[in-house]
Amino acid sequence: MKKSHFAAFVVLAGLISLAQPVWSQMNGKQIMEAVYTRPSGSDLQGDLAMTLTNKQGDERVRQLRQFITDNGSIEKTLMFFLSPADVRNTSFMSWSYADGKDDDQWIYLPALKRTKRISSDSKGDYFMGSDFTYDDLGDRHPDEDNHTLLREEKLGNYDCFVVESTTKQPGYMYSKTITWVNKDNFIGLKREFYDEAKMPLKTLYIHKFEKINGFWTILETEMVNTQKNHRTKMVFSNVKINQGIPDNKFTERSMTLGQ
Amino acid sequence: MKRIFFLTVFWLLVTDTKTIAQNEGAPLSFSGYVRNYTGLLTESPNDFSIIQNTLNLNIEHHTETVGMKVNPYLHHYFDRDLELGLREAYLDLYFKNFDLRIGKQQIIWGKAEGVFITDVVSPKDLREFLLPDFDEIRTGITAVKANYYLGNNTLEAVWSPVFTPTQMPESGSVWSPEMEFSLPPVFDYSRAVTKASLENSELFLRFSAMGSKMDYEIVGGTFFYDDPAMRISPIVDPVSMQPTGLLVAPEYHRVAMAGGSMSLPLNAVVLRAEGAFYSGRNFHTSKPGVSGSLVEKENLHYMAGMDYTLFGVKLSAQFIQEFILEYEQGIQNEEFETTMTFLAKKDFLREKLWVELFGYVGLNTSDALVRPKLSYSFADGFDIQAGANLFLGNKGRFGQYDKNDMVYLKFKYSF
Repeated sequence: MKKSHFAAFVVLAGLISLAQPVWSQMNGKQIMEAVYTRPSGSDLQGDLAMTLTNKQGDERVRQLRQFITDNGSIEKTLMFFLSPADVRNTSFMSWSYADGKDDDQWIYLPALKRTKRISSDSKGDYFMGSDFTYDDLGDRHPDEDNHTLLREEKLGNYDCFVVESTTKQPGYMYSKTITWVNKDNFIGLKREFYDEAKMPLKTLYIHKFEKINGFWTILETEMVNTQKNHRTKMVFSNVKINQGIPDNKFTERSMTLGQ
Repeated sequence: MKRIFFLTVFWLLVTDTKTIAQNEGAPLSFSGYVRNYTGLLTESPNDFSIIQNTLNLNIEHHTETVGMKVNPYLHHYFDRDLELGLREAYLDLYFKNFDLRIGKQQIIWGKAEGVFITDVVSPKDLREFLLPDFDEIRTGITAVKANYYLGNNTLEAVWSPVFTPTQMPESGSVWSPEMEFSLPPVFDYSRAVTKASLENSELFLRFSAMGSKMDYEIVGGTFFYDDPAMRISPIVDPVSMQPTGLLVAPEYHRVAMAGGSMSLPLNAVVLRAEGAFYSGRNFHTSKPGVSGSLVEKENLHYMAGMDYTLFGVKLSAQFIQEFILEYEQGIQNEEFETTMTFLAKKDFLREKLWVELFGYVGLNTSDALVRPKLSYSFADGFDIQAGANLFLGNKGRFGQYDKNDMVYLKFKYSF
């Protein structure tokens, strides 16, 4: 009898533990790994409008069309610059490797009619004069930082984990970041960036996300640089996921033809 | 009256159909720029070396299977006739792994910047030396270009039925290259015309590969060398039998070229190299008894360079050398001719302001061309440039223009 009671308790305890959300026992590293591995489809295409606003409130708009494919070992990105007019038909291609190998990057300059290989050692550079660095736009591998779960709290209507990530890399441009991760879908809804002197530098906000073709997709985001009083808003439109973009899209031929 | 009405209705129907057909595919796109370019010589009496107003227009249309581009341009000068030109006008056909481009087109090869080693398909417009932007220095050629793609590898064949030479500065231009003659020259341009015929057509081939380890190109061709060789013969007075002048006849020679180029990333550095072997080039010689004072020699032209970014400054350097094989005394060119180029470029104010310093240095003659430039994006698409072209030395490729130091302003609106 006692034995059967014990067995019933074990089964019940097991059921209770299964009924708890998976994230209830997650630590900082596991949360950031879940953010990193969140399914996003094997390919994506769409248009991007980037609005840069300076401290006087003057706006500059940059428009791009981008294509991304990821086969698990290589993520290939191809961007066509649509405006302003003086950069139209410029294209940029990047191949990022999951094994940590340096990215390969090329730029096609229509005035020179030449595809030029560029160094990928410029991840700290700002992308097209925006508040996003090239590193901000890529997926930073969770192994590159130490992660600590600070607390759990609500951000707007969303229950979030708040995770602090400190870099393992000496001299990295950010001493730490603090990310608010939506518990429901592991989208980072807000991220604070701190400079090398550990002072607040900028904050990333996610204003809009939707499920497209079964994948949670960020559609509107804004980076606010509090030190420079400058902000960049990115709005994605015409987003299509898993449309089967062929691998030959990510070639010099596409870069030069602009399509 | 009925006929006019019928024609009007027919025209409207046709026009409407055209509009619909166009709207079903990609729209016709118009882009280009309007620019004012004013250059002032720094030496007294401070002549304007150039006042140029330009309209450059790109009209393009592309669908999945076909495309076209027309690039007319209009230069207006205060001291010259209005110049209307066509930089490009071509049709494209796109297949699964194959493209065909037919018409006038600019074709750019190689990895070197600011120098032309394997980049020999499109001839140059040197009417203002090397000072115009590079898209304006290269002129289009009438050609058929076929590209076959295999992943990131491309096999390209170019056939040009018409030879187009380098455009040289007009007589009297401040950019006319320095030529020294022992007797008064008389120019004869009758040999400078190359008849358009199958025999005189040009063929270029290129295999290019783009990969994670490196990019490279292997190129070859048989074509007319774009720069003229000067055939010089004495003009003899029939009475005194003494030479009274020199008959200078520019002429073009067919050459064969084989070469290649590569671009290799090494951490933060990108290494570049390019080289070509030429057979059939003619060089001017002062050796007595040589017919036309021209001697045919094989030569090598090569470059090694690197790009590096330091504290946000994009740095680039190139070492370039030309070498004449089986060199003989008397040849006007030196056996080795060495040039270096340097570039430093940095942006400020979130890519609104660019500061650039580019320079050529001729090591044989200790001359140089130094080109500082400031470019400010006043508004999206509206660019203001201020710069200088400073020629150092007093002889050599750059030093010969020592009196042409200039400052300039460019206002450019891209649309």
